[in-house]
Amino acid sequence: MSEDLSSKYILQTAGFDARFPNTNQTRHCFQNYTDYFKCIAAKGEDFAPCKQFKRAYNSLCPNEWIAKWDDQRENGNFPASLEP
Amino acid sequence: MLQNFSIFKTIFNDAPQPWQLGFQDSAAPGFTGIVELHNTIFFYLVVISVGVFWVLGSIIYYYNSKKSPIVHKYLNHGTLIELIWTITPALILIAIAFPSFRLLYLLDEVISPTITIKVVGHQWYWSYEYSDYVNESGESIEFDSYMLPESDLELGQFRLLDVDNKVIVPVDTHIRLIVTGADVIHSWAVPSLGIKIDAVPGRLNQTSILAERAGTFYGQCSEICGVWHGFMPIAVEAVPVQDYLAWIDSN
Amino acid sequence: MNLELLRLNLQFNPYHLVPQSPWPILVSFSLLAYTQSGVMFMHGYPYGGALLTLGFILTTFGMVLWFRDIIKEATFEGAHTTQVQNGLVIGFVLFIVSEAFAFLSIFWAFFHSALSPAIEIGGCWPPQGITALNPFAIPLLNTILLLSSGAFVTYGHHALLQGNRKGAISGTLITVVLAIIFTALQGYEYAQAPFTIADSVFGSAFFCSTGLHGLHVIIGTLFILVGLFRIINYHFTTKHHLGYEASILYWHFVDVVWLFLFIAIYYWGSN
Repeated sequence: MSEDLSSKYILQTAGFDARFPNTNQTRHCFQNYTDYFKCIAAKGEDFAPCKQFKRAYNSLCPNEWIAKWDDQRENGNFPASLEP
Repeated sequence: MLQNFSIFKTIFNDAPQPWQLGFQDSAAPGFTGIVELHNTIFFYLVVISVGVFWVLGSIIYYYNSKKSPIVHKYLNHGTLIELIWTITPALILIAIAFPSFRLLYLLDEVISPTITIKVVGHQWYWSYEYSDYVNESGESIEFDSYMLPESDLELGQFRLLDVDNKVIVPVDTHIRLIVTGADVIHSWAVPSLGIKIDAVPGRLNQTSILAERAGTFYGQCSEICGVWHGFMPIAVEAVPVQDYLAWIDSN
Repeated sequence: MNLELLRLNLQFNPYHLVPQSPWPILVSFSLLAYTQSGVMFMHGYPYGGALLTLGFILTTFGMVLWFRDIIKEATFEGAHTTQVQNGLVIGFVLFIVSEAFAFLSIFWAFFHSALSPAIEIGGCWPPQGITALNPFAIPLLNTILLLSSGAFVTYGHHALLQGNRKGAISGTLITVVLAIIFTALQGYEYAQAPFTIADSVFGSAFFCSTGLHGLHVIIGTLFILVGLFRIINYHFTTKHHLGYEASILYWHFVDVVWLFLFIAIYYWGSN
């Protein structure tokens, strides 16, 4: 049972990013969110390395923010360019 | 070995006590450091207080108008004593500043966390998100943590401190906290873990916790946030890693 | 100086007591009404606009009559002796310093938002979706206008110092004309701007800073205009024209603030 769990859940999260060394991590979250959508716009949704950005922004951004940004992307009023 | 006998059992103080004057027991290296810094500064405080009150008391005692009727009209400065009472405080401040800054920057450091937990302050409850493990449908662990009303308390639970859903964290694991607010500024604080960090809307604040022992640690919102500011407590339960994984699995 | 010596036959000190005046209390209440009705107007209370107009008229009325009384004391009673002038200079310089700090706080707000743009505006400056104005169109022309008006006011000042009445009048008049053209161009640019004060922190910072500056240009123009009126009416001598010098100092201050605005907000802040 316990062996299963250790292999089922890998204890791993977004690492330290030297661009965001401060207590304020707002841009760390935002950067990974925009990078993910830039990445899949360039390489397609199945491109494995893009998943890294998605994992990072899921770990760092409050779910409410992600939902808001997803809505904004759908409505075309997301406040940053997602062109690769 | 001694721990097995009930009279030698250590009972940690992880919640405030009535008329408590000292600290709660530390459960994290950060808080151990804070207590140590407090003790260091207290040493200087005692030395300075004794010195100042001794001088003050002896002046009052010896130089009142009855005991010392002669007015020293021209004794209005002394370069040596002025140098001493200017330079000595400066040196003391440096001696306090060094360990203080050392601790400050140590507490700021979040190098390689294993888990990220998002903490969101609401009027008037906390919600927590564990999004490192997202299932197939993209859902992550997310729950609200409300204070238990007095009527629901069971024997042994703390009034105004216990909550319905505690934050579960594994022991001896570096955990990154991302703290933000959903409406107004709150502040997430747990004394035993040495954490107090503002939850500001539109901003993500980062800090880290490392629980050194299992236990339940209590804290309260520490930034006045509205009428029920005092009724949105924080309860963190540190459990062994296997239990943490089981908890993750059950959610 | 003769007037001062004359005065010393009547009193042994260089100062004068200001006679009882209704203006301080009137202006106090007018300003209270002005600011209160300003809040009422902005929050859409009934009669807010009418009260705001009334507050503006009352404040302006009080100021005009107050300054008229000061001119009476200075020009017609000779109350502004060298020492009194010295106090007025210190007061005016401190006023300019306080104005400088007011602008500093607005520049601070601008740089706070522009140097580290928030994620809500796309993490860039100008914010995503905002088209900034071209600094080398009207703003550059305005820079030239304002700088040359500063040169003309210096010409007018030196003409006044040399007792050249024609030069003083023409120099000051050209300054005023250039200032009015500046204000008109600024108003045209406001009307043409592709963003409003409500368009993100960019619009707020832009219109608050340039708007406060524009207000100062208008006040400075009126100030110099009063100086022109007083030159024409023989109020000034080659030695005693403090009101005129204060208006020149004010004008240069407005000029310098514009240079900072042009460099920081129009040029640096637009790309």
